[in-house]
Amino acid sequence: MQPRHSGASLLTQVEVKRAISVLTAADWLRLHKVARALCREAAFEADDLLQEAFQRALDGTRQCTRTLDIVHFLAGVMRSIASDWRKARKRRPEMSLVTETGSLQDVVLQVRDSAPVADEVLAVNEEAARLKAAIFALFVDDRLAHRLLEGIMDGLAGAQLRSLTGLSETEFASKRRLIRRRIDKAYPKDWTP
Amino acid sequence: MSQKNKGQSSRLDRLTDTLVEDILACSDADLLAEAAADNDDGGTLARRAFERASRTVAVRHIARNKSPPPGRRQAPANIRALDPNTARGWLDAYLASNPETAGQLPRAVRRGKKLSDEDVYGMLEALQQRGVLTEKPIEQSRR
Repeated sequence: MQPRHSGASLLTQVEVKRAISVLTAADWLRLHKVARALCREAAFEADDLLQEAFQRALDGTRQCTRTLDIVHFLAGVMRSIASDWRKARKRRPEMSLVTETGSLQDVVLQVRDSAPVADEVLAVNEEAARLKAAIFALFVDDRLAHRLLEGIMDGLAGAQLRSLTGLSETEFASKRRLIRRRIDKAYPKDWTP
Repeated sequence: MSQKNKGQSSRLDRLTDTLVEDILACSDADLLAEAAADNDDGGTLARRAFERASRTVAVRHIARNKSPPPGRRQAPANIRALDPNTARGWLDAYLASNPETAGQLPRAVRRGKKLSDEDVYGMLEALQQRGVLTEKPIEQSRR
């Protein structure tokens, strides 16, 4: 999938473009699914996130090492961009440039106070609790999936997460897929059912 | 943001990370089967996003290459900001370093005679437009 050459440890922009151009149908789909998963938590479009990641890869803003799979690289770029966009949305600076005389020296930068007021914090907390309950409700019929979900949300991963449920690697992968599929169906675009 | 709110956000972040992990680990066959079952055209949308990104990057690249290289100025009006002696000095310097061009000019012109200020400015502007005139910082030689 990814051209490998001796010499420099980073792919050139031409090589990155070539590597993306020859992605398989499954890889294109994979990238879009990753973008949708990352966009679910914030109000931006998967296509925009994907395009931004491609742009940063193509113009060399983000560089891919030769040892890294290009799809994993792009997924990492998307994760980083999504995180930045989410933080920017949370800050909501609502900046505006005001010029009264038209002179550059007279530009005034006005920044809204971004500290959330108590009502906003309360509303966000309530919404998060409601969402968590709704996600768990998707798995009321599946005790193992329920437990796995709890482990994931508590920050467990890998063998530790598997040992929580006593599943083999294959069973674990299968259960994790079931969780993803149900969530995909219940929340195809964002965390709104 | 309160600790509780942070906690709820990171819970969802962890879930999202796990979902992404699963997508990356999923076999090609399983992904394609899912897409067929869901009537998911994400693959096409991803290709389109790539095409848009490629066009944007190409347009930016062209725009960047159009800007003048460091040390050269493209705006012809800047030449008119030179005082006549400095302009003559620039032309002389150019002709001295480009004897093949100087050789094509009439002898009197080569000696700097019969050239009005307007001629000098006109020649410098022509050289500037061709991108062959190396300019000095214009602030040091303003009229």
